[in-house]
Amino acid sequence: MGTRWDLKRMLFNLSALVDLGQEVTSAKGYAERMRTAVYVITGMFSVPRAALFVYDPEQRALVHVAGKGNEELQDVRLSLRSSDVQQLPRNEPFPIRDMRTVPFFQRYEDILAKLDARVMVALFAKDEFIGVLTLGRRLSRKTYLRSEWDVLKVAAHQLASAVHNARLFAQHAEKARENKRLYEDMRRIYHETIEAFATAIDAKDEYTKNHSYRVAHYASAIARQMGWRKEQVEAIYIAGLLHDIGKIIIDRKVINKDSDLTSQEKEEIKNHPQVSYEILSKIRFPWKEVVHFIRHHHERPDGRGYPDALGEKDLSDGVKILALSDAFDAMTSDRPYRQRLPLAEAVREIERCAGTQFDHHISTVFIKMLEQEIKGKSHGQPILESMKMEIKAFRDANGPRYNA
Amino acid sequence: MFRTVSNFSLSLKTTDDVVVMTPRGYVDGLGAGQMEEASEAVLGKGAKKLIVNFSDTQFINSVGVSVLTTVVHRTQQSSGMLCFTNMKRVHREVFDLMGLTKHVKVFNEEDDAILYLNRTKKN
Repeated sequence: MGTRWDLKRMLFNLSALVDLGQEVTSAKGYAERMRTAVYVITGMFSVPRAALFVYDPEQRALVHVAGKGNEELQDVRLSLRSSDVQQLPRNEPFPIRDMRTVPFFQRYEDILAKLDARVMVALFAKDEFIGVLTLGRRLSRKTYLRSEWDVLKVAAHQLASAVHNARLFAQHAEKARENKRLYEDMRRIYHETIEAFATAIDAKDEYTKNHSYRVAHYASAIARQMGWRKEQVEAIYIAGLLHDIGKIIIDRKVINKDSDLTSQEKEEIKNHPQVSYEILSKIRFPWKEVVHFIRHHHERPDGRGYPDALGEKDLSDGVKILALSDAFDAMTSDRPYRQRLPLAEAVREIERCAGTQFDHHISTVFIKMLEQEIKGKSHGQPILESMKMEIKAFRDANGPRYNA
Repeated sequence: MFRTVSNFSLSLKTTDDVVVMTPRGYVDGLGAGQMEEASEAVLGKGAKKLIVNFSDTQFINSVGVSVLTTVVHRTQQSSGMLCFTNMKRVHREVFDLMGLTKHVKVFNEEDDAILYLNRTKKN
């Protein structure tokens, strides 16, 4: 009979240890995992009252994190002296009555009595002190069998590892949050630096204030419409902001000249994509396409662009989008040597040059986007924010087709 | 408290001053938590005669045993009476093993337990 019950008890305890393993590694929150772990252990030994204290190194104190039957003692903290821990057996359960002469137990005799603590296990994981588990009076037995003591030892090891892992996880999570904050700061600084460059580029030319911002805006809107991924859209936005950086070496007088340029001045202007490329190729952008887009933003599908006179097949979509966005903004902005084109005329110009100066498909996409916005049917972010008057004029000039 | 997904429900009925708790399904994580809260509420209102009917209980794990240990303990503290009824053999064995049945009256049927508790009232 005794052997049969011993076997059944062993099976129940093994099954409880499996429960404990599952509970301490479950996806529940830390406090809940600890509370359930205490319940599993108290269920193994029919103990109505128990408490789990975890060591807080900053406070140098044991902090109550979970318990059973001790609701009134939830805020209890037990300060520790460095010698206290050395006097505790590691993961070995012991009767508290055997420790009456030890200072820690003398100091907290009252609290331990209130907890009805009869047995304690000091939890250690990899030589690190984790905390203590106290178990109250058992419901039916006063003592523990040798085998139960061993099971409690195994449970204590599991609990110690769980708390240790939770602590490590919390430390890593904090580090990850800190890294994320640093990354966000770096990213903000990166964007602000690029925007500062864009402002500096645009400041060079009084006629084209905010040109870089508008090109970035058009280009990213087209890319988004074409289904580009978020990071690709960001890349073309950055390319839009920086595409004219090569112009910073051109004399302001040349850029703002209202008469015909000399052939040398023309060459100087035509050289700016190459200069932009040389400046930016020294920067390791998160997206390597940025410098490629910028170098070729004056290339054309018919091969008559510069600096490399590439043909249609050699031009990426990003290059084509940036070229169209740049040209559209140039057409719809005043220049020293001419006034801006009305929106309707700019649209017609894109249509006329689709397949030669501009990519046919991308031109169609862009014109469709413009039409939707003019009709007031666009669902995305407006792309023609700075052209409200032109939109009205366009609607008036083109009749009901463009009146929403 | 215990927030695992569980197949558990608990019914409570009171006849005169006898409260009958019938846990259905799995008395583990969530189930045990509900049972603990319900028994705390019942004992907190001053109930002295409690029956736990296990007829529809499929499974009890260590968390369930822990909660039942608390129910036994609290009933003793309040000088109440607790009966376990309709236990399956497997549950009875676990309760015997953990010493719970030493502290409760065990009956095969709920009606017998009600009769016993009512008789005790008359005494």
